[in-house]
Formats: sequence, C-alpha cells, structure tokens
Amino acid sequence: MNWHQNQLCLLMMGTAMLVLPTMADAADYHHVHITASSPSEAVNWYSEYLDCQPISDRNDAADCDGIELVFVVQPTMGSTQGTGVNHIGFSYADLATKMANLEAIGVRGSGVRLQRFPDGSTLRDVPGLFKIGFIFDPWGTRIELVEDSEYLGFHHIHLSAEDPPATLAWYRDTLGGQPASLRGQLDGLLFGDVWLFASQHQEGTPATTEGRAIDHIGFSVTDLDMATDAMNDLNVSFAQQPIVPENARTSAKRAFIHGPDNVRIAVVEAGFAGVATERDRVDVAATAEPYETPQTPWGEPDLQGVWTGNSSHGIPLERSRDLTDVDTLTPEEAEARRERGTLGSIWGYEREWRDTTLGYVKTAPSTQVAMITDPPNGRMPPRTARGEELTAQARTEQAEIRSRPAGGPEDLSPYVRCITRGLPRMMMPGVYNNGLQIVQGPGFVAIQKEMVHETRIIPTTPREPLGPDLTTWLGDPQGRWDGNTLVIETKTFNGRAPFQGSSDDLTLVERYTRVGETRLEYEFTINDPTIWTQPWTGSFHFDLDNEQYDLVEYACHEGNYGMTNILSGARAQDANSP
Amino acid sequence: MPSRLQHRLLAMLFLFLCLSAVSLRAQVTTPVVQRAWDGHPDLNGVWQAIGTAHWDLQDHPASAGHPDMGAIGATPPGQGVVVGNKIPYQPWALEQKQSNFENRFTDDPELKCYLPGVPRATYLPYPFQIIQGDQKIMIVYGFAETNRTIHMDKDNPQPAPIDSWMGRSHGRWDGDILVVESSEFNGEAWFDRAGNFASNSLRVVERYMPMGPNALIYEATIEDPEVFTRPWTIRMPLYRRLEDQPRVLEFKCVEFTEDLLYGHLRRDPTR
Repeated sequence: MNWHQNQLCLLMMGTAMLVLPTMADAADYHHVHITASSPSEAVNWYSEYLDCQPISDRNDAADCDGIELVFVVQPTMGSTQGTGVNHIGFSYADLATKMANLEAIGVRGSGVRLQRFPDGSTLRDVPGLFKIGFIFDPWGTRIELVEDSEYLGFHHIHLSAEDPPATLAWYRDTLGGQPASLRGQLDGLLFGDVWLFASQHQEGTPATTEGRAIDHIGFSVTDLDMATDAMNDLNVSFAQQPIVPENARTSAKRAFIHGPDNVRIAVVEAGFAGVATERDRVDVAATAEPYETPQTPWGEPDLQGVWTGNSSHGIPLERSRDLTDVDTLTPEEAEARRERGTLGSIWGYEREWRDTTLGYVKTAPSTQVAMITDPPNGRMPPRTARGEELTAQARTEQAEIRSRPAGGPEDLSPYVRCITRGLPRMMMPGVYNNGLQIVQGPGFVAIQKEMVHETRIIPTTPREPLGPDLTTWLGDPQGRWDGNTLVIETKTFNGRAPFQGSSDDLTLVERYTRVGETRLEYEFTINDPTIWTQPWTGSFHFDLDNEQYDLVEYACHEGNYGMTNILSGARAQDANSP
Repeated sequence: MPSRLQHRLLAMLFLFLCLSAVSLRAQVTTPVVQRAWDGHPDLNGVWQAIGTAHWDLQDHPASAGHPDMGAIGATPPGQGVVVGNKIPYQPWALEQKQSNFENRFTDDPELKCYLPGVPRATYLPYPFQIIQGDQKIMIVYGFAETNRTIHMDKDNPQPAPIDSWMGRSHGRWDGDILVVESSEFNGEAWFDRAGNFASNSLRVVERYMPMGPNALIYEATIEDPEVFTRPWTIRMPLYRRLEDQPRVLEFKCVEFTEDLLYGHLRRDPTR
C-alpha cells in the first residue's frame, strides 16, 4: 500500500469537506474540518482564542498554523466525549500563559470553557511529556492544549478505542500514517507533523461520531478511485461509495468509510473543495401539494402530538430596521442569529447539557426575519395617546423597581415568580423547554406548554363567556374550527402579565394551522384598542417531534431557588448599603 | 324497652340499607355508561371528589386546625377511604407520618402550592377535567396548574425523562375500567393534609370504574416497599360536575404562598 504513504493528509470532520490547496507534499499539510452550528462564529472563535487565521473569501474556514479548519452548518448533537474521537490538540510554547489568557475570557457568549482537574487546576504536568490542559469550544469539541515545543500549532487527533494498538494498526494500513513514538512515551502515527493517538475507551464501545461535534475525520488522497481499490482489497467497509456530491464546490469525489470504534471517516480526492451544505432543509413554502390535515376519529382536525418551538427560537418580534428589504435570512445567518441569542442567554450552562438533554438544536433555525407580519413593515403599530401614557408610566415604575434591590417577590416578573409568562408570551419559544403538547377530546383542545407547566383548555363549541369580574392570568378562551385551523379568541385577562405593554382590554386571537405533516403554523393577533391604534399580527411555527421529545414536568415554583437567592442577595445588598 | 315506632324505624332503616347495598351493586355491575367514539367509556368532562379524603385518608374525628383560622381551618370529621382503614406503614415510616402531621402547617406541599402528586391530585377539593384523546388522556387539575398525561399509546412503558411530582402514567382499558399505572415519582408529594406519604419508589395503580354517566368509582392501589409493608388501596366515588358548561378555572396559587415561603426575605419582613 504505497498510494497513501506520502499523499494523505489528515483532515477533520464536517459534512462539508474542503479545499485542499496542494497534495504535492502531504507531509507538510494537514487540514481539519470541524462541525459547528454557526460557522462564522466558529471562525471567529478559533481565530481569537487558538490563533487561527480567517481565510479570505471563506466564512466557514480558518487556517490554524497551516492546518485548515472547516466549519459546517450543522447542529451539534453533543460533544466529542464518549465517541471514538475524544479530542483534538493544539500545542503552545508557553501553556501557562495561554491557559491564563483563556481563563480570563470566561464562558459568557462565545466564550471558553475550561476543564478543571480534580485539584481545581487547569494545567497538569505529565512526567516525561509536557504540560497539558483541556478546553471546550462552544460547540462541544474537546480540545487538548499541550506544551510541546517540537510540534507547535495543530498537534494531534486523539482517538478513543476499544483496542488502541489494533486501531492504530488499522489507520496505518488503511490510511498510511507513520508509526512513531512521542518522546518515547506515547505511541502513535504521524501524518506529516500531526499526530494520531489512540487511548483505551473507558467503557464498552465508543458512540458514533456522526452528528456529534466532531462528525467525522477526513483524509485526502490524490486519486480516490485508486484509493478505493486499495481499501476494497483491505475489506474496508464503505458507508458511501465515491461520488461527486451534488452541491460540491468542485467536481472532485468523496467517499465515507467506517473506521474502527464507530469513527466516521471521509476520504476525499485532492482538490476536492467541499460542499456548500448538506443540511436537509424543509422548504414548506415550496411544497406544491396542499397539506391535508388529518382528522380525529370523531371528525375534528387533528393537531395532536408533541411539538417544539425550538426552530423558531431567535426570531425577534419586530423586524430590524437593517433588514427592511430582506425576505428571509440565509440558513447561515439564521444559525448565527440563534447562536447569538442562545449564547447570550444561557452562557452559564453547560453546552452539552443544553444540546443533548434539552434537545435544543435538533432542527434548523427559522429563517423568518421577524415575527410581526402585519403591519407589513414588521413593526408594532403606533400606540394611542393613552397607550403612550400607560407605557411611559409602566416604564417609569419598572425603572424605579429595578433601581434598587428587590423588596419582595412582587418586584419581580410573574415569570421569575413561576406564575406565568402570560399570553401570547407563554406560546413563544425560549432557550429551552419549548415543548408543546396538544391532546384533543370531542369539543375540547388541551394545549400544554412545558415551560412552567401551564395547560389551557380550549372549548371548540360556543359557551357562555366568563363575567367581567372573573379575570385570570391567561384569560377566557373560546375556540372554533375555521376549516382545519383552530381559532382561539381570548379575553377577560387580569392584565398582570402584559405583553409589550398590553392592557386588560386585550383580545388575543390565535390561529393554529397544520401546514405539513410535521409543521404547525402559529399566528397571533393583538387587538388592544386602549394601547395600539390598530391590531397587529405575528407568527412563527412549531415542529412535530413525537418520537424524540418528551415534555418534562417543569416544576418551576417547586424548585424556585432563584427567588430565594435573588431576595437573599437583595437583603445582603441592603445590609451593605449605608 | 323500645317502642313499636322505634322497632318500625329500625326495620325501615335495615331495609333501606339492604336496598342501598343491592342498588349500589346493581349500578356497579350493570351501569349505563356513556360511550366514546371507540366504544370505551367516555370520561370526557369535569369531575370532582366529594369528601374529606384530602384532609385525611383514614377515619378521623373533627379536630382543630391552625388557631388563627377558627372553624374555617378546622378539620371536619370523615370516614376513611382506605380499604380496611389501615395504612401498613413500616415502623420508621409511621414515625415520619406522625412527624409530618405535627409539622403540617409548614411542611405540607399543598400549603406551598406544590404539585400534589398521585393520587392526591384526584381528591383535592377542586374539579379536574379529563380530555380523552385517541392516543393520550390528559387530566388537567384545578390545583396549582397540575396536569398529567396518561399515555394510552405506549405498550412498553418508556422511562420518564426525569422523576417528577406527578410521575409517569401509562393507561389501558380493562373492559370498561380505565387502568392507569404510574411510577417514577420524586417522592416529595404527600397523600393528604394528615402527612400520609410515600417515597420515590411509589407505584400507583388507579382504576376508574364507571357507575353510570355521571359517577365512577375511583380506586388506587399504592405500592412502595420502602415505606409500606404491603400494597394498600383507597376507594371513593368521583362525581361529574353537572353545572351547565362546567369549567376548571385557573387557580395559580403561587402568589398566595410567597409570604409563607419568602416573607422572611422581604425588605420589611412579614415573617
């Protein structure tokens, strides 16, 4: 097998593979492709924190000391840990300084998460080798930082194998790495000056890399047909035979093979320039056939199931004035928008917990520019004189309340108090727990929102409305079927959980329309003549996820340590102020 | 010596009791049951328990409540709903129950507007609505925004995402009886205001047995090897609310507990 010996170059992952400038002397060139949910954010991150360089005319790749990292628009389904690719490594001449700098950045926003050793330190000296430390990028890729003066920059890929010697032998035979020993301490393979190591997997078989932060690792060859013949001789299992991907940047070929330990490996022909995106995106608008809404056995339109608002998370209520002429965002812009919103709002949470436990990033984010569809400029209509007055008054009151530590629970929002987010806010997607379960019985629709566990019972046949003295947080709903659309008109609110300054004069009209097997369009119209000069309407959508999503019991009040902590903190502030 | 009238009254009472027993049995065995689209009993609608089980599952005499609440806070007397009236606590658990009772004015989760758990949600003194779908049955309870999904569509019970106050419920029809098995509770809930409780090993098997269009017998068998020496059962009727267009009204009780829970943390402490 000599076709590979000097002609392979180690790459990494991403459903998109990338540009390999030259394969003349592969030993000098290594290219790494990383999967992230927001390529542009990832380019910035790796440039800012790991000293990579953005690549001109590419917004999805960075050059790391001669190694190209390519980032793919793909949701991260979890970090690298537990898969057959444990981490990637970078080497710095002065690791203590590097770690100190990274630690100073913090985890907020597109920050850096440091892994601490049991003694609380971030660095450890490995006898006979060098100092090491671990960090995570915001997309769940585990990164080892080492102080190896012999090999600076992109340093290694570390596999997690059931049988490490056998795994290294497989890579040597199949892909041609050069067996070597790092300082006589650690056996591995060298691809150029980048190492490939394999350690014993902790327990059982490693999880597949597919769909994880490192989706696959890639190697390039000068002639994929020849390489395929050679691999067939070795009985290598192909996940995908060599093809020219439809949306590839050039006409070169790519194949996927099954590596040991459930590692997905791409083999690309030199010159292959990657694909724009492989993400399946459902374009509902382009679906020619009108969707026929299923009916319940008793003959009403069937909206039942577990839905999530995750893909609508990030759509702002109002259209930005910078986006006046934009119909929809590009998928990349939408990813970046959601990413920003998420990182900004849950910066203190563990990324992997959010991604895997909460199932947050399973769907492509909506490319909708703003929720408001009417007025057509995507912005709330002008307020009435009374509306302006009430809004200013509320603003002054809120400013006063926020100017001092909270005096009691009443100074905090009904949401913080775990009472409700109010309507229509309770229907809107947030960062997590966006489950919506709909169960129907004849004449009734139960709409359960996971967040703070609220359930609305909607009658679809007319009933006597509640009297004006019987107000509630979520109002008095009356539903009806307009064709296959569930229309709910709600009023008699207590006005204590206002939406954008709405009053207790609010009439909310919601429309739930199933527009596809897995899509539910949600539209809300705010009619509050006390506050606004005209009604206004917004929309977003929910996606069906019966198979994977399970609403948890969001026992908010029962576990509201936040309230205790906020008030305790406020009292401490009081005690410290003169 | 009893008068003739007294004899006659006693005889009438005896006859009445016999007839009542017979007619009750007749109702249970041959009820006129409202049917859903699929032929199963139609439980859609608003229901409520009537009785004092929410005070104490067992026989209990009238007793004083919180001194500030006078007669309003007093516990009315009530006959128990526990079959055999005995709850077979392990010795440690009986002590715990007694301790719960003594501390009920601070420890009862109901006091704090916490989710009531199963079966307590059923017989709290609030209505609940059953929405009987073709895949799931949802029960929305009047207290504390409690809801519960009974999965009728999963043959093999799936593990819950997390343990919870209301647990995970799987249901099936046994003839005209809706049988619901629930587990994966968090062990925080109580059964009544008397401090009866279970652990997170609790498993509840409920039976909803229609007695006619407007009433059903509710039975819950409670198993918890950590707390009890054997399974035990409670049984009581549930009644359909017969008002025109009855409703389960929103009762978000959180704000009414904030003084209790956070009063000591106010700028001007109320507790």
